[in-house]
Amino acid sequence: MTFSKDRIANSIVILCLATFVLWYAYDAHNASSSLENMILILPVAAVTLCLCVYDFFTSKEDTAEEKKKKESFTTVMPVMILFTLYVLTLEYLGFDIGTVLFLALFLFLHGETRWTWILGYSLVFGFIIAYFFSLMLPYPMPMMVFPTDY
Amino acid sequence: MNLIDINSAQEALTLLFSQPQYWLVVIPGIMIGLFFGATPGLQTSMAMAIFLPMTLYMDFLQAMLFLTAIFTGGGFGAGVPAILMNIPGTSSAIATAFDGYPMAKQGKHNEALGLALGSSTFGVLLGYVLLFFLIKPMSMFVLKLGPSEMFIVILWGLTLIASLTGEYVIKGLIAGLFGLLVGTVGFSEAGVMRGTMDIELLADGIPAIPAMMGMFAASELFKLVKSEFLVEDEAKRKVRISQILVGFKQAFAYPVILIRGSIIGVLIGAVPGVGSSVSNLLSYIETKRRDKDPDSYGKGNPKGVVASEAANSTSEAGSMATLLALGIPGGGATAVMLAAFAMHNITGGPQFIREEMDIVYAIIFANFGQVFLLIILGLLLIPVLASIIKVKMTYLVPSVLVLAVCGAFGLTGNMSGPITVLVFAMIGWVFRRYNYSVPAAVIGMLLGSMAESSLVQTLQISGGDITYLFERPITLVIMTLLLFSLFGTKLIKRFTKKA
Repeated sequence: MTFSKDRIANSIVILCLATFVLWYAYDAHNASSSLENMILILPVAAVTLCLCVYDFFTSKEDTAEEKKKKESFTTVMPVMILFTLYVLTLEYLGFDIGTVLFLALFLFLHGETRWTWILGYSLVFGFIIAYFFSLMLPYPMPMMVFPTDY
Repeated sequence: MNLIDINSAQEALTLLFSQPQYWLVVIPGIMIGLFFGATPGLQTSMAMAIFLPMTLYMDFLQAMLFLTAIFTGGGFGAGVPAILMNIPGTSSAIATAFDGYPMAKQGKHNEALGLALGSSTFGVLLGYVLLFFLIKPMSMFVLKLGPSEMFIVILWGLTLIASLTGEYVIKGLIAGLFGLLVGTVGFSEAGVMRGTMDIELLADGIPAIPAMMGMFAASELFKLVKSEFLVEDEAKRKVRISQILVGFKQAFAYPVILIRGSIIGVLIGAVPGVGSSVSNLLSYIETKRRDKDPDSYGKGNPKGVVASEAANSTSEAGSMATLLALGIPGGGATAVMLAAFAMHNITGGPQFIREEMDIVYAIIFANFGQVFLLIILGLLLIPVLASIIKVKMTYLVPSVLVLAVCGAFGLTGNMSGPITVLVFAMIGWVFRRYNYSVPAAVIGMLLGSMAESSLVQTLQISGGDITYLFERPITLVIMTLLLFSLFGTKLIKRFTKKA
């Protein structure tokens, strides 16, 4: 019996969801086993686990047409990695420089070859957005160029 | 009981039309609301809080008109990013995105925005008309609502999960229940901390709106990264006032949906803590359930946009009823208004209604005027907002991601917002890829903690005695309505077939 990559990936997703549900129910029970604490979590977790088991054994593979509609990992991964780096470095680079770098790198990686556009758009949009939010929000934001109390 | 106090109504009209300065604050108010509502991450309540100090220089009525104008503008504005970017600016516009965004992807963005404007303005108007006639009985009704009634209302919202599962029913249910569990992370009603992994930022739970932004918008953007434009066909990318007007008129082709959505909106909007977040979902689910072609929902059915927008805009009037008649804020926006009450040394409640009825009526009448101003300003500003459709995805994707991240920071005030967007963008992308319903998960997340709180409160009040529910006539009425909405149509069909 052979399994396609998609079927294996789907099974991993179900296993991850079931693991989360089990862990969460266990954690909640450990925190307090009182009726008030478990009144919603326990029945919902039990039903979810049953559905996960059912889906694990019965879920069907996507049709060729459905597979075609799905974007490839190689397209999405660079964006996800770049977005992750952007969010995780915001505290150090600030919303101003972090945003400008994220925009410039994104445009460059997605085929924009005009340097004036890359620099112009990322600088103007990045700084305007960072400055606008820092003005509007009632609490300090991490910044590198603009003044901040963060 | 007299429903209308004619003398006070006359005084209110004299007050409003003798002093034009009252109207001067309405236009900037609507524009501020539209702008904040249409910017992902900026909330209407945030706009009201930012501009609250300005109301110190106004008298009470002018302050209330300014704040309700922001409220009205924001209510419609939140639907704009839901339609154009799949980012519901607030939880009240979730259901707008279900069909609004697919419409935009089909090149029907003009019609979708027109539909939203038409339904919103109708909703606000009908909501305030109902408020005008029913403010006194409504305030008595709201006082009788307890946690058991709220639980049944939330349960009604949860049934939406089952109807949003699409082709993959089991996966959809798993997604919805996963959302429910995620929604209960953090401190419980009983003061117990669950699922936080000792991360302090999660003590208050997972921030729902940043999570929603991540699941809806960011995950969709990852998918669109290789497309050149949101709408591939160049001819469909045009922004046309004429088509917006077509959409505006089309909203009135569904009077039953508009009226049903508005009634749901005003009733649910009056329930503190529930309000427009649930009313738009209830209206959507009822419309979908009663439609001959429920499968067309979620794929760009205009009725979905009408149902959601009619309900969320009417909720404004519902929450105003609770605020004016009881002095209880139903949500963030009315909480800011309550602060404005305090700044002007006014306390809302039965005494306020009794003694200042002319002011209450003046607020209601001014909102009738705001509806027409919203139509004009909306039609003028929609073409500017809709131009987003012409931006290349290479520029749009990173820009919207940046807006979501900054907006999420704005919502939480710390890095938990942006990190939530990131984590839930990835979860959302995995869910989409493996056919787990993202809307079902988001609804579960939004209603999880509400459902748990009301369930625990009902348990505490009843002492675990189930017969308590049968002593609550309103609970029974809502439960009957819920059961009828779930099975009524099928039963009637079966009986009529037999007959």
